Amino acid sequence: MLEYVRQFISQHIELTEEEFQTLASKLQPVSFDKKTKLVDIGEVSTTFYFVLKGISRRYFYRGKQEVITHLIKEGGMMGSVISFLTGEPSRYILETIEPVTAFALSKQDLEGLFLSGKKWEKFGRKIITAFFLQVEYHALDNIRYSTRERFINFMKQNPDLVLRVPQKYLASYLEIQPETFSRLKHLMVKEK
Amino acid sequence: MNKAFADIDPVYIDYAQKYLGRFMPITREELIDLLQYCEMRKFDKRVVIVREGEIDNYLNLVVKGLVRKYLPVRKNEVILQLATEGHVVQSEISYLTKTPSMVVLETLEPTILVSLTYDKMEEALDRFPKGERLGRMILSGMFIKKDENRYNRLSKSTRERFFEYIDHHQHMLQRVPQKYLASYLQMKPETFSRLKALLSKRGK
Repeated sequence: MLEYVRQFISQHIELTEEEFQTLASKLQPVSFDKKTKLVDIGEVSTTFYFVLKGISRRYFYRGKQEVITHLIKEGGMMGSVISFLTGEPSRYILETIEPVTAFALSKQDLEGLFLSGKKWEKFGRKIITAFFLQVEYHALDNIRYSTRERFINFMKQNPDLVLRVPQKYLASYLEIQPETFSRLKHLMVKEK
Repeated sequence: MNKAFADIDPVYIDYAQKYLGRFMPITREELIDLLQYCEMRKFDKRVVIVREGEIDNYLNLVVKGLVRKYLPVRKNEVILQLATEGHVVQSEISYLTKTPSMVVLETLEPTILVSLTYDKMEEALDRFPKGERLGRMILSGMFIKKDENRYNRLSKSTRERFFEYIDHHQHMLQRVPQKYLASYLQMKPETFSRLKALLSKRGK
């Protein structure tokens, strides 16, 4: 299972075996049932996860409506990252959709790493860069593509999520009205 | 000091110090050292600094002037940022991944930028004792800001976005054409005019 994390980290920064073992010694294996809230609105988030299995979502409420800003699957990182970084109460809920297993890294341990050397500061920068890029790509795509294009692109890139995530969540994530989403479903068959 | 900065207006250095000071305390000497890695770039108004499809190699701090960043969408433009003195502006994805830019950067006023290439940034962060820490803090700051913008865009009403923006950026009404402000706030120009009319009523 650690191999998974090693592979994932190596996309962002090269760590020596010793450095990786230092990181690994801070990782706690955790597992959660489906529909478990890992962070609620108003809580300060102090844990960051490398996901090994299962899907989660991050969302907030606009009035009574849930607005999903992230869907995270195996191989991804998750947390209420802004709260984690700022120490301020979370505006988002982080909740599992499926049962999830992950490695957890506490803020305390991460900050300990940062203090122990420049390499870890760089590690932090590269991980935050990955989050930053993800948010920016998603935001630009939602502006520059039409509803229909967003739907088709997502289906092509995430055929697994389409089968595993409730439609209303996908619609919210793609900023598509649920009725429109249903109407577009015929495209899935055609595209095959 | 770097020749380009030999007779720079100290006010511009203040902007840089203020910007970096948001992330960690930085002395004037440290700042001057950091400026060795930067370039000062001057542009007329209405100059395109980064084209769609071009790789943006610069992280820019605006020390004078105004830059708009927009995303071309079919025949329209969606304005993503209006950067003034003290703001950082760039095509972030292009800079961080060295891929062709999706967005366009254009000056609206004569503009002076303090600019840092990606490679020089890596070099500076590596060589400075506190460099990597500063780099991490700047990236965190950019990420927090990005998330905040997105949260506001998705969670607030048109009216709320209008009043919040105008309350904090009164001077922009004079500096930027209304249609740009409307695009930035994701509203129709007519809606913008209507809300602006409310503004003068509210002021009385």
